[in-house]
Amino acid sequence: MKSMKKQRILSNCLVFGVLTVIFIIAIFPVLYTILGSFKGNMELLTSNSLFPKKFVLDNYVQAWNMANFEKYTLNSIFMSGTIVLGSIFTTTIAGYVFERGVFPGKELMFGMVVSSMFVSLGSLTLYPTYVIAKFLGINKSLWGVIIIRVFGLNVTNLFITRSYIRTLSKEIDEAAKVDGCSFFAIFARVIFPLLKPLIATIAILEFRHSWNDYLMPMVFTLSNKDRMPLIVGVMNLKGSGEAASSWNLMLAGSSIALVPMIIVYLFFNRYFIEGLTAGAVKG
Amino acid sequence: MKDKKFRGKRLPADSVQAMGMLAPMMLGFIVFTYVPIIYILRYSLYDSNGFKESWVGLDNFVRLFTRDSAYWKSLGTTFILAFGKLALEIPLAMLLALFLNKGIRGTGFFRVALFLPAIISTAICGLIFSLMFASYNGIINTMLQNIGWIQKPISWFSNRWTALLVLGLASVWNNFGINMIFFLMALQSVPKELYESAEIDGITPVKKFFKITLPMIGPTFTSVLLMAIVGSLKMADLILASTNGQPAGGTEVVMTYVFKYFFGYSGRKVEVGYASAMAVVTGVILAIVSVIYMRMTKKISSSVE
Repeated sequence: MKSMKKQRILSNCLVFGVLTVIFIIAIFPVLYTILGSFKGNMELLTSNSLFPKKFVLDNYVQAWNMANFEKYTLNSIFMSGTIVLGSIFTTTIAGYVFERGVFPGKELMFGMVVSSMFVSLGSLTLYPTYVIAKFLGINKSLWGVIIIRVFGLNVTNLFITRSYIRTLSKEIDEAAKVDGCSFFAIFARVIFPLLKPLIATIAILEFRHSWNDYLMPMVFTLSNKDRMPLIVGVMNLKGSGEAASSWNLMLAGSSIALVPMIIVYLFFNRYFIEGLTAGAVKG
Repeated sequence: MKDKKFRGKRLPADSVQAMGMLAPMMLGFIVFTYVPIIYILRYSLYDSNGFKESWVGLDNFVRLFTRDSAYWKSLGTTFILAFGKLALEIPLAMLLALFLNKGIRGTGFFRVALFLPAIISTAICGLIFSLMFASYNGIINTMLQNIGWIQKPISWFSNRWTALLVLGLASVWNNFGINMIFFLMALQSVPKELYESAEIDGITPVKKFFKITLPMIGPTFTSVLLMAIVGSLKMADLILASTNGQPAGGTEVVMTYVFKYFFGYSGRKVEVGYASAMAVVTGVILAIVSVIYMRMTKKISSSVE
């Protein structure tokens, strides 16, 4: 009996050891970026330590004032914020209609939405999407990205919403109907307020997606550098001729892009993990 | 069939409202999901630079299958990179999930911390790794030199295979967390009693995993793996943000290759027609991979039963 206990402690130590090693490797690139952003440019080029000798804020000042990061950050906040708000409404409405609505062609439409998951071409359809946006006159700013993300229906989120609404008792709807609520009024007054936990999940997923997105916002801001969101702005530095001399700016820019995401994650990690797994299991 | 009950009658007000509520999203969905696919199908038969176009029939496909070895090379690179990194990522994610599932005190912290890389932008991930592995002042070279494993800095990005190695590591770093969480969720649904009886029989942990755990989480495992495979084959941001296909197209993946033809990115000229043909072929190849995978997993799972 005693040896078994010893064995268990030993195996627990092993588990802890492995987890710790992986944890250090996993966290290293993040630390490297954030700590590196406080190093002076000279130190960046010569230092062999992870920690800066002296914390300097120069990189941030320079990135913020000279490299346009003030604008990029505001653009990112604007883009992600609008997408999050907009898709909360479009996703919950679509989920509600597909779950509770009764009208001809509903199954066909849902089938179309579901089958789009199987013909997904990823970034291959970016060009035609851009051409369509051009045709609609929304190709020169982040509004194009916003409209596409908000009205383009995210299938995963739709699935999560639909199955969440399914768990709500239909008696609630019926009681509201008896009270004279129309289909829309039931949604606005009864269903929507019940969706709070789900809304948190959708908001988090959409925030992660839109804040981190690169290719689509890049394409939509190619001709208009003032509209670039953070990620595109940082990458733009790398693509420019001065990439070698702007390590400090790239690290500062990356940190500005990373830190809000990490903060949101640390506060809401439960929703992150729940949302992502709900999407996978039900989608 | 179901729609019969609507025939010949006026729609109830609630149905009209429902349709009205869905209309903007349905319109957006069709315009931004289906129309692009139709666009690509059409333009694959045209020669077009985005302004002028002319019908060329199947010429684009003939060119792709007979004269464009770079496309097929990029496709090969995609498969090498995707399956190479999944060979590390999936076992790692599974191992971590098994460890976290033991319910040892204090491991809740690791669950949150190990998922952290998964919330970081793929583009930023590519940038960070290209800085860390930079040849002259990259921290990885410095560290390797300090511990004496290498004498002079390795130029990671000027050799195709070391560049692919770095990209693979970056992608594993960025993605293992999500698979770990999927596996963990699946593991938590396995009833504990199954293990208890096995432990009485004195079964080894390895046997326990292959005889009990894996069959129990089989369905989740196969669908997570499919998502991981398809996701990896569609990799694009990471490459554009780090190597951008260098050296000499050695790390070009199929998505970035086609992307560059569409947009004339990296000094290439815009060839929408040809890019569309490549997109069609790539889409078909991705679909074939999924179908083969589903056939295989079906066979395996039925043979296990």
